[in-house]
Amino acid sequence: MGAKGFFTDTTICIGCKACEVACKEWNQLPDDGFFFSGMSYDNTLDLGASTWRHVEFIERPVALSGQETGLGNFSWLLMSDVCKHCNDAGCLDACPTGSLIRTEFESVYVQPDICNGCGYCITACPFGVIDRRDDDGRAWKCTLCYDRLKDDMEPACAKACPTKSIHFGELDNLREMAKGRVVELQEAGVEEAYLYGADAAEQPGTEGLNAFFLLVDKPEVYNLPPEPVAPRKQVKQSWLALAAAGVAMTIVAVGAVLSGVQQS
Amino acid sequence: MKQTEQMITIYQEKLRSVLETFWHNGSSQGNGHLPAASSIDNSDPDSPNNGRNIDLSLAGLMGEGAQQQHENARDHPQRSAQERWEAPATAAQTEHDGPTYYDRPVVKEPVWIWTVPLYFYVGGAAGAAAVLGAVANWFGGKQLRGLVTRCRWLAAIGANLGALLLIADLGRPERFLNMLRVFRPTSPMSVGSWVLAASGGSMTVNALIGHRRYWRKSIGRLTAVLNTVLGMGLAGYTGVLLANSVVPLWRAARQSLPVLFVGSGIASAAALLELMTLNAAEARVVRYFGLVGRTAELVTAAVVEQEAGQVERVATPLRAGRSGELWKISKYIGIVGLALALWPGRSRKKRTAAALCTTASSLLLRYALMSAGKASARDPQATFQQQRRQTSRSEAKDTDHHEQ
Repeated sequence: MGAKGFFTDTTICIGCKACEVACKEWNQLPDDGFFFSGMSYDNTLDLGASTWRHVEFIERPVALSGQETGLGNFSWLLMSDVCKHCNDAGCLDACPTGSLIRTEFESVYVQPDICNGCGYCITACPFGVIDRRDDDGRAWKCTLCYDRLKDDMEPACAKACPTKSIHFGELDNLREMAKGRVVELQEAGVEEAYLYGADAAEQPGTEGLNAFFLLVDKPEVYNLPPEPVAPRKQVKQSWLALAAAGVAMTIVAVGAVLSGVQQS
Repeated sequence: MKQTEQMITIYQEKLRSVLETFWHNGSSQGNGHLPAASSIDNSDPDSPNNGRNIDLSLAGLMGEGAQQQHENARDHPQRSAQERWEAPATAAQTEHDGPTYYDRPVVKEPVWIWTVPLYFYVGGAAGAAAVLGAVANWFGGKQLRGLVTRCRWLAAIGANLGALLLIADLGRPERFLNMLRVFRPTSPMSVGSWVLAASGGSMTVNALIGHRRYWRKSIGRLTAVLNTVLGMGLAGYTGVLLANSVVPLWRAARQSLPVLFVGSGIASAAALLELMTLNAAEARVVRYFGLVGRTAELVTAAVVEQEAGQVERVATPLRAGRSGELWKISKYIGIVGLALALWPGRSRKKRTAAALCTTASSLLLRYALMSAGKASARDPQATFQQQRRQTSRSEAKDTDHHEQ
């Protein structure tokens, strides 16, 4: 069973939110309350415990190159965000209970019957994906529709996407398709097109994302971190500092005891 | 209007009866996926399944997220979507800042409650007390026997109280034992759970029978060795735990945080011991231990600030807002505590005043770090600027390399 994942081509997303709805319905997730945020058509705001797909609406005061519209200096950027199922997943390495596991599809999965809601995965995700619901007490995120994959079906969001902005499949095929798409777009004049997190060379901090994206502006514009790093990669120096401090504490204790006793 | 209400009532009654029939049929077939009859009542706004808008006469709750409990947002004013929307970014955006997505945070804010920083304090003090107790037992002789006992009990109580504080923070406290289900060296939380569990055992046993003779003596010796090793970990692993995160402030200070926590642990343990009755030799030992701890705490706190300050935006929560106030107050009280401890004279009152100042300072330090970390996670610019700076630095290195 090869690695499976998503390739989300943001240039053909039309912001219909069918993926959000399909995800909620298939996974039977509770609603988050209904209100208007005033941030374009985005009333979902972010990914969270009960939002596993989130469509972003960016009203950009810049025209997309290679495009002529009556809008002038304006372009819409739309993106359906999702858990990236990183190859080096911060949440997975942080989980102290073993609730988070890597599945046979190379996706990252939270087992709700094991999670005890310690919240450590939440501080370890470079993308702010996984979250804990206060009224449930456990951490939740996209499962890459594990139940559907088991039955040889594609995830609900990819199935529902009417423009095929969300592609699901074998990662090797997806990467090839994505590279072709970038070339195609650049030939058509959209020079900004590039892949975000397609492989380890492009994003060493996560060693590549199993759900990667085609973007046409800086990652920050899409609320994506420019250089995400799995925290474990940088923690060695902290352990060394602790070891040094611990030994120093013992030496200080010995010194204090010896000099305190000697004086009498 | 009245007619509509009547119709709704009739519909609800019908729905209820349909559900009941469905439930009874379902359970007789042994369908394990169905929740208890009382919780599938969709007409009840307080039902945990309400909010899914699923007609349970047509569908069973079997989805991947179906087990997610959901309380009615009206009665439980928790972090609803609206509240998340209204939560402000830490610092106002300026023209020079790069783009953000409506100033929404990039990373999630840590969900830990007040018991966690309190645990940082308690665990730190317990770890340092365990080390001092074991060392005083080995090198101190009879003079320090009282101090050894106090240290042992301080460590034992701290380790057990610390575990309770952490369990209280869990989203599912009844599952606390899952922490010992696996050992994951990549997770400081997992390492810490094992250290804390072992500390609870070893420090309790040591306090209970460390002073006994005959066959219990060897257990006392073994636990004393264990206490020293575990105490070093317990005092400072929490610093590693915070460092191993995407929270910009904690990540920036990843080299100094463990040292700060150990230093502050020494100061906290010494301050607690200073509040107790000690003989002259014991008072001297505690004084030396405390002086080093207090100094280390203040110096490393300054280093943390400096490390974080390499990216202006990351250190903002230590300088402004509520977390900045806490941080400043902690520093000032810490300086007063150190000054009082250094002041000549052996008056008990002076010692108590110094101890109280240092205790308050160490506690506030933990709360300030937690609160500042949360604030830096809310600020998308902190994350962006920290990562952009890293890139530009490594790119600069690359060009240097090429030029050579």
